[in-house]
Amino acid sequence: MCSNARGARRADYCGNVARMSIRGALDPSRRERLRRELVAVVGADAVLAEQADLRVYECDGYTIERSVPSLVVLPATTEQVARVVRAAATLEVPFVPRGAGTGLSGGCLSDEAPLVICTSRMRRIRSIDLPNLRVVAEAGVVNASVSRAVRDAGVHYVPDPSSQSACTIGGNVAENSGGPHTLKYGVTTNHVLGVELVLADGEVVALGGASEDVAGYDLTGLVCGSEGTFGIVTAATLRLAPVPEAVTTMLAVFETVADATATVSRIIACGIVPAALEMMDRTIVQAVEAAFRFGFPTDAGAVLIIELDGPAAGLRELAARVEAVCGEGGARSVRIAADENERAALWKSRKRAFGAVGRLAPNYCTQDGVVPRTRLPEILARIEQAGARHDLRIGNVFHAGDGNIHPIILFDERDRAQTARVLEAGREILRACVELGGSVTGEHGIGVEKIEELGLTFGADDLELMRRVRAAFDPQGRANPGKIFPTAAGCVERRAPRRQAAL
Amino acid sequence: MSGPTEIGDLAARRALAIADHVPGMLVTPDSRAALAASVGEAAARGATIVPLGLGAHRGIGQAPERYDVALSTRALARVVDYAPADMTVTVESGVTLAALETLLAAEGQWLPLLAPWPSRTTIGGLVAADLSGLLRGGQGRVRDYVIGVAMVTAQGREVRAGGRVVKNVAGYDLMKLMIGSLGTLAVVTEVTMKVRPRPETTRVIAFACGEREGGLRLAVHLANLDEVALAVVLLTGPDHDEPALCCILGGVAADVTTTRARVLREMREEATTLLCDEPADGAVAGALVAEARDLARAAAGEIVVRAATLRTRGAALASDLLAELAASSALFDPRAGVVTVAVVTADPAGAIARAQAIAARHEATLTFERWPDALAQTIEVWSPLPASLPLMRRIKEALDPARTLAPGRFVGRL
Repeated sequence: MCSNARGARRADYCGNVARMSIRGALDPSRRERLRRELVAVVGADAVLAEQADLRVYECDGYTIERSVPSLVVLPATTEQVARVVRAAATLEVPFVPRGAGTGLSGGCLSDEAPLVICTSRMRRIRSIDLPNLRVVAEAGVVNASVSRAVRDAGVHYVPDPSSQSACTIGGNVAENSGGPHTLKYGVTTNHVLGVELVLADGEVVALGGASEDVAGYDLTGLVCGSEGTFGIVTAATLRLAPVPEAVTTMLAVFETVADATATVSRIIACGIVPAALEMMDRTIVQAVEAAFRFGFPTDAGAVLIIELDGPAAGLRELAARVEAVCGEGGARSVRIAADENERAALWKSRKRAFGAVGRLAPNYCTQDGVVPRTRLPEILARIEQAGARHDLRIGNVFHAGDGNIHPIILFDERDRAQTARVLEAGREILRACVELGGSVTGEHGIGVEKIEELGLTFGADDLELMRRVRAAFDPQGRANPGKIFPTAAGCVERRAPRRQAAL
Repeated sequence: MSGPTEIGDLAARRALAIADHVPGMLVTPDSRAALAASVGEAAARGATIVPLGLGAHRGIGQAPERYDVALSTRALARVVDYAPADMTVTVESGVTLAALETLLAAEGQWLPLLAPWPSRTTIGGLVAADLSGLLRGGQGRVRDYVIGVAMVTAQGREVRAGGRVVKNVAGYDLMKLMIGSLGTLAVVTEVTMKVRPRPETTRVIAFACGEREGGLRLAVHLANLDEVALAVVLLTGPDHDEPALCCILGGVAADVTTTRARVLREMREEATTLLCDEPADGAVAGALVAEARDLARAAAGEIVVRAATLRTRGAALASDLLAELAASSALFDPRAGVVTVAVVTADPAGAIARAQAIAARHEATLTFERWPDALAQTIEVWSPLPASLPLMRRIKEALDPARTLAPGRFVGRL
């Protein structure tokens, strides 16, 4: 994920932006034919064909690579999606599924598929079954609105990515999204029981279902995290959970990052699984404090946000234990959120930390990697070394309990040499994650950003098996081509620009 | 073939027969590379392979079309990596569940599934047969714990998916494809799982509930207990004059105390008799938990069948299955909406037909886990068949085009 509001283009770095748009574009006659067929399916107001409108869809939250699609279509029903996909299949036009466009790895970049199918008009919650704790939500339903719809019943949809006020259920399924509360409760796949999927030939298939024992391969689980390469998810059956009886949210303040990360392991080692366990270092704390005035100590080396939830009876005791462990780990202070308002303010600061970082530098890049949580002290040291070696300022705000790091590298894109060092530092950090037994992405996905990095953990045979699975769903490769795997057409010329993936 | 083979040992091969299919060869490779070579060689000469651990769960699934080689992972029994503070463990697929549980217990951790027959179940078998256990209603299923896998493809190549970290979206989640696939897509050789701290305090509370309907009603009532209730199940069987309602509680002492008091108070107001109120490692508690855990495998009966539906329909489904099949043993999980019944009967075909009719009435899915060999060719193990079966067939064809691995074993006889 990169902030480059001034519109940095891959052309600035590698000069081949033209090639990308050529590959993605439709010739005028096919484009017009497809446009007419789409209009016949969804109506003129749901087909975007003007440059000004299309430009909105040129990228997602990963802005370093952009490609203006030839057409964008906004179907309102599954049946419309199926007909749109069939029309595209007839003309052999590849497509890109898109939700709110909050993805951070370029998963809905249209450079190899000229048609964007956006689910933003599919915002219906089809059914709410409270006694069975099930909701069926269409793909365009915003994550937070699921929990909002059932709040009065004392239940919620657990996965809560930081972008939850905008991101959609379809996108969450495609990316297998995480969030701060995955430590205790798991990620999207653990809460999705079924999906409705439109395959690349327009066939609508129902996978899984409301019951837990649907016969056959767990295709629902396979679709979670497939990044739109199997087709378009048009609806999902979600599991709800009771809102925990009590919640305690704590802010532990440490002099050093090393003390904070060591304490993460000590908390886990003593048998406590917090609902969330997040870390922010001094750079981030200062930016967040300047933006939100929560009252963070701006001289601290790092803070941990620790949230415990569960039955009220035991929570006080658990909190006391966590407080003691923090003390043994060198915490300067531990503050417990006094009420729901203070808790909400604390989480707002955490979830909007990326935005606050915009104050620190003209541009920033967020990396997403994972290490076993006991290796956090080492990876944080490696990040610091990478920053020093490349003369870059790096802040850290991340899901410490999961070992899921998000170093934020600050830079100014006008400084070409500095930008090159940002790329190199990002690569070094991901390589270090793999060396320490981790992964190149914990929750942002491979998209276009990390196609090369996928090769750090998987070999040719591993990728070949994944390709075979993909071909079973989409033999022609028309659903979101050019993502996750290097394509035969793209791998050579892509090598240079894709290195910006590190951003 | 690589690895020790027991081609001539008829007794060993007979012990792994499925219905009337006795494998022509038993192979027990002692390394992942040897296993890959075994698969490659078998595939090259057109032989079919049924992957197994110790064979304890081989009764699950349709009878294979052909069964040339029994490929056992039992000699792949190394612990590859266990980092307690990371709450992850990586083992080869032949490690038994009992061995894994012992390993984890020494560090105060566990895999909160309580799948059946731990000493006869390998981790590969746990994954391949999706042996979601006694705790599925409260703690999740196999799919919620597996984060990485190594497997040998039908072409004899070892590949990996996932990893050793708890959060990872690099590449497809092929772990999900392996879970419950009965060895029809690849042979699992190594598994990485998330594990959890053991609850510091446990309590098993059980009540005799008079008659069946009362027991079902109380089970549904207690299904709403909070996260301290690791399991709430109703158990019937020849050793119980009345249905036994069992709650397994686990967590911080204060929470267990609170929930225990609530359960005791509420059940005292009902026509129940206290059977057990002790920590999970107590004699009575341990026996009850083991009975419930192993029921699907250990209970007497010609037929064992599992039915699943929405939780609001679970009690009615269970009531009909227990009554109309005259179930000799049963386990009802009101939170998962799942009931398993064992039936002692002289008319197994009739019992199967009745179970199917009941399931259809309650819109339940049905999985037969045991049936007499005489019915092996005709039984539909799973019903209803999933709407996405054609897609599943394409996946099988993509991964195992030569039908080397457990042909005919899976849903739709894939």
